[in-house]
Amino acid sequence: MTEPVRLAILGCGAITRSEHIPAVIAHPGVQLVALVDTDPARADALIQNRGLSCKAVADYREVLGQVDAVLNALPNHLHVSSNLDCLGAGKHVLCEKPLAITAAEARSCTEFAAAKKLVLAVGMNRRFAASHCLLKLVISEGLLGSIQDYDFQYGGAFDWRSASGFYFDRAKAGGGALVDFGVHMLDSVIDWFGPVTGFDYQDDDWGSGVEANFFLGVKHTGRFGDTEGQLRISRTFGLKNRILVRGSEASAEISVHDPEVVVIHRRIGGAAVSQTLRLEKIAGGSSYWRQLDNFVQSIQHGTQPEVDGWQAVRVLELIENCYAHKRRIEEPWAEAGSETGPESRLEAGAEGSGGKQAAAHEART
Amino acid sequence: MNWRNQTVFVTGATGFIGGRVCERMMQAGVPRVRALVHGMHRAARIARMPVELCPGDLQERESLRQALGDAKVVIHCGLGPSSTIVRGTENMLAVAQAAGVQRVIHVSTAAVYGITPPPGSESEEAPLRQTGDAYCDNKAAAEKVVLDYGKRGLPVVILRPSIVWGPYSAWSTRLMDDLRAGQVAFIEGGRGACNTTYVDNLIDAMVLGLEDDRALNHAFFITDGERVTWGDFIRAHMALLDPVPDVGEISRAEIAASRGPSSGLFLGSVKAAARVARGKEFRQMLMQIPLTEAAMKKAWSYVSSLPAQKRERLRARFGVRRAAAKPTRARFIPDAVTEATQSATVFFSIEKARKVMGYEPRIQFAGGMKLVEQWLRYAAYL
Repeated sequence: MTEPVRLAILGCGAITRSEHIPAVIAHPGVQLVALVDTDPARADALIQNRGLSCKAVADYREVLGQVDAVLNALPNHLHVSSNLDCLGAGKHVLCEKPLAITAAEARSCTEFAAAKKLVLAVGMNRRFAASHCLLKLVISEGLLGSIQDYDFQYGGAFDWRSASGFYFDRAKAGGGALVDFGVHMLDSVIDWFGPVTGFDYQDDDWGSGVEANFFLGVKHTGRFGDTEGQLRISRTFGLKNRILVRGSEASAEISVHDPEVVVIHRRIGGAAVSQTLRLEKIAGGSSYWRQLDNFVQSIQHGTQPEVDGWQAVRVLELIENCYAHKRRIEEPWAEAGSETGPESRLEAGAEGSGGKQAAAHEART
Repeated sequence: MNWRNQTVFVTGATGFIGGRVCERMMQAGVPRVRALVHGMHRAARIARMPVELCPGDLQERESLRQALGDAKVVIHCGLGPSSTIVRGTENMLAVAQAAGVQRVIHVSTAAVYGITPPPGSESEEAPLRQTGDAYCDNKAAAEKVVLDYGKRGLPVVILRPSIVWGPYSAWSTRLMDDLRAGQVAFIEGGRGACNTTYVDNLIDAMVLGLEDDRALNHAFFITDGERVTWGDFIRAHMALLDPVPDVGEISRAEIAASRGPSSGLFLGSVKAAARVARGKEFRQMLMQIPLTEAAMKKAWSYVSSLPAQKRERLRARFGVRRAAAKPTRARFIPDAVTEATQSATVFFSIEKARKVMGYEPRIQFAGGMKLVEQWLRYAAYL
C-alpha cells in the first residue's frame, strides 16, 4: 500500500477553513502534519475546532523537513516566494489560484518545479466541479452538434469582506475582476475550447484603479475549429451568472448556482425542451476533494496534475495581454453628466482657470 | 475658494451620491480624492479610480481624523443608521474644524420637512418641525449642528436635494424590479410631486457651494426645477420595458380601506419590510433609500422577532402575499411608505439657489432619463 502524503497547509484563511480542511480530513491518502499561519492562534483555533492532531506553526520553513507536500493558500502576492522555497526544499506544491501575480513569476515557479521533477498543481477547483466535467463530455461527444459560440457572465454586488482592502490594491491583487474571477473563467473556457487566438478586452478602470466590470470577447482555435465567446464580469451589477454554449443542434447551460448539473436546451419537433444532465457517480464530496485527490495521484504515480503550472502561465499571459491592450468601457452617462459634458452650461458661465484645467484633463482621458 | 487644486474628502463615498461625487472630482481634475470607506466590500465602484480608500467610521473621531488627512474640502454625503446621523455629522464637523478645513458641503435632504411635506414648505423659509419620522427629524437636527459650526467660523453650505436619481440610483433599479413584479400603482392618478434631483445637478450645486462665498451658512433646496410627477417618473420607466407593463390606479381611500382601521406608517412599513426583505436589493435599499430606512429596519426586526404563527397571521392581516402562492388577479396595494412618498403635493422652489449662487439645473428630466436608460442597459436591468 502506498504511504500517505504528508502535507502542510500554508495560510489559515477563509478558503482553508471552509474547503481545504474538510477535503484533507476526508482523504485517506493524506496525513496533515501542520497548519501554518503567521498568526499561530488562528491555526490553533482551527486545530481545536476540527479536532485535528497536527501541529500549528508560524513559519513554514520549520516543517518542510517533515512533509512531502504543501498546499499553498497564502495571499496572492506571497505565492511565488513561498512556492520557490518549498520546491527548493524538494516538496510538491498545490498552489491556490492565481499561481502568481505575473506570468513571468508563474513561469519561474513552473520551470523550477520541472527542473526539480516535482509536482506543481494550481488550485482551479472549478475544473473538478461535476458540471465542468459534464460540459466537457457534452461538447467532446458532439451532443450539441458543431459548436457555434458561448456566453459566460457572472456578476453581483462585490461582497468579499476583506478588512485590509487587499482586493482593491492593484499592487497586491495584480488587478481587479479579471484577475480575481476571470482566471477561473479563462481556465475553464481554454480547457473546453482550446487556446485563445484572438481577443478584444474592455474594462471600466478609470486609471490606476482596479476594474469592477469587464467585457472580453475571445476566439479559440482548438479541436472544434474556431469558437467565439463572450465573457463578462461585474462587481457592481447582477448578471445572468451562467455559461451558455450554443451548438448547431442544441445549447448547454451551467448556472453558477447549481455546480452539479448541465441543462441541455433543444427543439424536438418544433417544441423547445430542456433536459437536465447529472453525473450518476462522482468521487468525493467536493471539487476541492477531487482537486486534492488529483494532486495526491500525481505525486504517487508521477503523472501530470490536471492543472499544471504551464496552464496557469497561459492564463496569466492572456490576462497581461488584455490589460496591455485594453480599451475603456464607454460610460456616456458619466461623460454627459460631467461639467464638460455635451449638455454643459457651466462652460459658458463665469468659469475661471479651473474650468480650463478641467477641460484639459478631459482631453487627456 | 478654488477647490480644484485641493485634496477633496468625500464621506458616503461607497453610496450612490458619494460614488458619483468621486467620479466628478476625478473628471474635474482635482489632484487627490480621499474617500471615507466604512465597508470596504462596498468600494468596488470607486476602486476603479485613483481615489484613496480611507477606512474609517463617522462614529469614531480618531478614524475620521486619520481619513481626512490634509484635505481642506469636505463633501459630507455619509449617513449611517438614522440614530447616528447627528453624532456622525457632529464628529465630521469637529474633526474638520480642528483640521482647518476651508469648506464643508453638507448633503441634507428636503425630507427635513417630512416624507409628505406640508403645504407651505415650498421655500427654505418654512420653519422646521418635528415630523415623527426618525430619518427626517435626525436630518433636521443635523442641519442645526451644521449651522452652529457655521456660526463658529467653519465655512459650511447645506444642500437639500429631494428624490436624487440617475445612473446607479435605487429609485430607478427598484422601480424596474417592481414594474416587472407588478408591484407598482399610480396613487391618485400619479399626480404626486416627485421633486426629481438628477445627481449631476446636485453635484453642480455642490461645486457652486464650494466656489461661491455667498452660499455660506445657507440651506438650499436643490431639484431639477421641473414639475415632474410620480406618474411621469413611473411612466418614463415603464416605457423602457417591452412589453410595457400594466400599471393600475389606486386612490388613497382605497389604500386605507384595504388596510383596515389600524393602518399607519409603522404598520404599513411592516408590509414594506416583508416585501423588501424578500427582494434581491434588500441591503442596497436600506443603504440607498434613507427615507424609509429607519421604518423598515424597525419593522423588519419587529416582524422577525415574532413566532412563526403570529408572523403568518400578520401576513394574512396585512395582505402581504407569499412569494409561492401569488393570486393571479390580486390588486397591488402600495405600502404606506410608498404612499406617503408619492402623495407629496409640494414642489420645492429652487429660486434661492438660483439667486444666491446662480444654480441652474443643467440636466432636464427627458435628458436625464436617456442617460438612465443607457445605464440601465449597461447594468443589465434592460
